[in-house]
Amino acid sequence: MRASTLLSESLAVLGKELISELRSRVALNAIGLFGVTTLIVVAYQIGPYQIQEQDRPHLLSALLWIILFFAATSGLSRVFVKEEDAHTAKALRLAARPLAVFAGKYLFNLILLIALFTLIVPLYCALMGYAVRGVAGLVLVLAAGAVALAATATIVAAIIARASGSTTLFAILSVPLVLPLLVMLIQGTRAAAASAELAAVVPALQGVVSLGGAVLTVSVYLFPVVWHD
Amino acid sequence: MTDTRVRTALHWLLGAWMALVIAAAFFWAPAAAGFKGESSRIVFFHVPQAWVAVLAFCVNLVASLRYLRTRNPLDDARAAAAARLGLIFSLLATVTGSIFANVMWNSFWNWDPREVSIAILLLVYAAYFALREAVPDEERRASLAAAYAILAFVTMPFLVFVVPRIYWSLHPDTIIGATGKLKLQMESRMLQTLFGSLVGFTGLFFWLYTLDVRLARVRLARREREEE
Repeated sequence: MRASTLLSESLAVLGKELISELRSRVALNAIGLFGVTTLIVVAYQIGPYQIQEQDRPHLLSALLWIILFFAATSGLSRVFVKEEDAHTAKALRLAARPLAVFAGKYLFNLILLIALFTLIVPLYCALMGYAVRGVAGLVLVLAAGAVALAATATIVAAIIARASGSTTLFAILSVPLVLPLLVMLIQGTRAAAASAELAAVVPALQGVVSLGGAVLTVSVYLFPVVWHD
Repeated sequence: MTDTRVRTALHWLLGAWMALVIAAAFFWAPAAAGFKGESSRIVFFHVPQAWVAVLAFCVNLVASLRYLRTRNPLDDARAAAAARLGLIFSLLATVTGSIFANVMWNSFWNWDPREVSIAILLLVYAAYFALREAVPDEERRASLAAAYAILAFVTMPFLVFVVPRIYWSLHPDTIIGATGKLKLQMESRMLQTLFGSLVGFTGLFFWLYTLDVRLARVRLARREREEE
């Protein structure tokens, strides 16, 4: 009974997020346009032919994750700030338990990230001439990356909403936390591009899944403190 | 009164100990083979500074956890004091490491995984203080800072142990190797000096930490008196 209530509350929060986002489209526009603009600048200035053949595996995987991470940063930070701005945070505190709020907001951020990845990654491969041998491996790396990045982004977004609500603070707080994650994701992407074998991405996946899992677990315990204090 | 005497005696002992460590590092321990000139002597200061930076991070975590349980402002002051010292000691470890890198490899910064780890540790400490300064309300500041400190601590093992194992590193073997076993193949006088220095720097950390916490306790007591 209790579990189903938690689930229904989480889905209700997710539903509310999706409806309000589809009305305003602020986060979708921010991450989509930021991602596409950065990609166009990178593709125009660097393109498929400006990088030496031996540097391509390193640079192309790193550039991809720089575009994805900073585009995500522009939208994911809003998930709690908008509640404080609209003065709806108190109503949400009364309407749902903290865990349901966290779960709903986390799932919303996860959906945003998946949408961003679906839009940017194929475009990036086409515009930059990025030949990926292990497509299944890349999809796994992107999926694990979305799960882990959404966890860090959601808890940091909750912290900054209770602090000053500035996007700058979001970047300052989240960059040191996601750097190890980004290093492992870049490694995994490079491995997927170089080999069709799924085994090639396993070491990076292990790191990403364990770090993402650890952050998600700790966030579940910390969120009530951040949300109520 | 007895407390003050013990404290004074400990301060003198710490001073004498550190003086001995410095003298031993330069005159008693031999320079290690395989390193340029006398450059290996920096290990007696660099390793303890890095150790104290990590120790401060752990003290910060314990104080943050305690704050979330007790809501005692003194625990928040303890967490902030540990982070302040952690920031100073990680800066010192970065500077001494850079000096060593320049002597050995002719470059102050090589983006070695160990250098990246310490740089990110510095960023975490800086972010912790940026967060503290962004929240005017004291209670909220304390709980948000505690939450961030705990979150940052979770990512540290990945930074310190996982990422440097993925990348090839120039850094000499760390004291605790990948297998978790102690890898100490130093000449015995070097080993004694290093352990002496580790003890000395740990003492130095706790002395500075206690001073900071005592100051915070006095400030809190004064404010309580003013409020009454």
